[in-house]
Amino acid sequence: MQSELSDIALIEQALAGNQSAYTDLVKRHQRFVFTLAMRFAKSREDAEEIAQDCFIKAYRSLASFQGQSKFSTWLYSIVYTTAMTFLRKKRVVTDSIDDENIYIRIDADSYRHQASGYDVNNAENKSRSFYLNKAIEQLLPDDAAVITMFYKGELSLEEIGQALRMEANTVKVKLFRARRRLKEKLERNLKHEAKELI
Amino acid sequence: MNTIEEKLWNYIDGSCSEDEQKAISALIAGNETYRIKYNELLKLNKEFSAMELDEPSMAFTCNVMEAIRTEQAQPPLKAAINKRIIMGITIFFVLTIAILLGFVLANIHLSAINVAVPAGLKMPEMKTYFTKPVIEGFLFFDAVLALYLFDTFLRRKGQTKQI
Repeated sequence: MQSELSDIALIEQALAGNQSAYTDLVKRHQRFVFTLAMRFAKSREDAEEIAQDCFIKAYRSLASFQGQSKFSTWLYSIVYTTAMTFLRKKRVVTDSIDDENIYIRIDADSYRHQASGYDVNNAENKSRSFYLNKAIEQLLPDDAAVITMFYKGELSLEEIGQALRMEANTVKVKLFRARRRLKEKLERNLKHEAKELI
Repeated sequence: MNTIEEKLWNYIDGSCSEDEQKAISALIAGNETYRIKYNELLKLNKEFSAMELDEPSMAFTCNVMEAIRTEQAQPPLKAAINKRIIMGITIFFVLTIAILLGFVLANIHLSAINVAVPAGLKMPEMKTYFTKPVIEGFLFFDAVLALYLFDTFLRRKGQTKQI
């Protein structure tokens, strides 16, 4: 069986004109890029648009990739920039990290949906993982992105800092706050669910 | 100063120094508050690590590659225009005009010019057409046009920067 090629080897092949090498790169990173885009866009259609845009931009500037950082770090920095530009265009309020009003509204909406039996597969979905995803959706995009990069992107604090153009210490503080907020949201969602069951 | 939670997260992430790590290990072993909090955070950490990634639509990879192929098939206008051809056309016209001008100037005999305006010929009164309001209107239109073109230029520049 042929061993899996590294990102760098695939990039070299893609630069030499082998498009299927780039297809492999897309396949390798699409789930994470899409998830990261979902943290900003909140709708599958918009997230797909952002993710697609990222891979096209990455292909265009593939030659400028120096290889000094991991390809994933470089790619995630493109996701972050593209997502922020997309949000700015869509005029979604994301600038202020303290302005959680919009997300409180999302919280209330999701409770209403649950209470009104909105989800047909409610019983199946009510697992810890379901509530974790719900809680992440209720976070601010920056918090959700930092948590996703740390736990799923296999990136160090320094690499997350590179992708988000922040100092590693700032990322550390952000991660701490994001985890605390996520914990609160998770507890609140589960508490609400317990009340409903009683 | 770091809170208990912050210290424990650093310990779990392995982002603290060796000395700090030893100190926190001792605290977890000997302090009930630390132990309870540590177990709670450890459970959360495990849960966060198990979060699932979202899956894009099945056609995602195809759509990306299709978009790339389409983009490659249509080279941008800037690349499609050969600058040498433009330069060649410019040089041809400049040379032609220069040669014609030179030929005309060389063949003019200023002393031979003796144009007599016939007495009955009535020249049009230009002053009746170019009145003050007409000139002001013309200048106003020019100013609006210039502003519009400048605005279009700036927008294009902005769009190029965004891309």
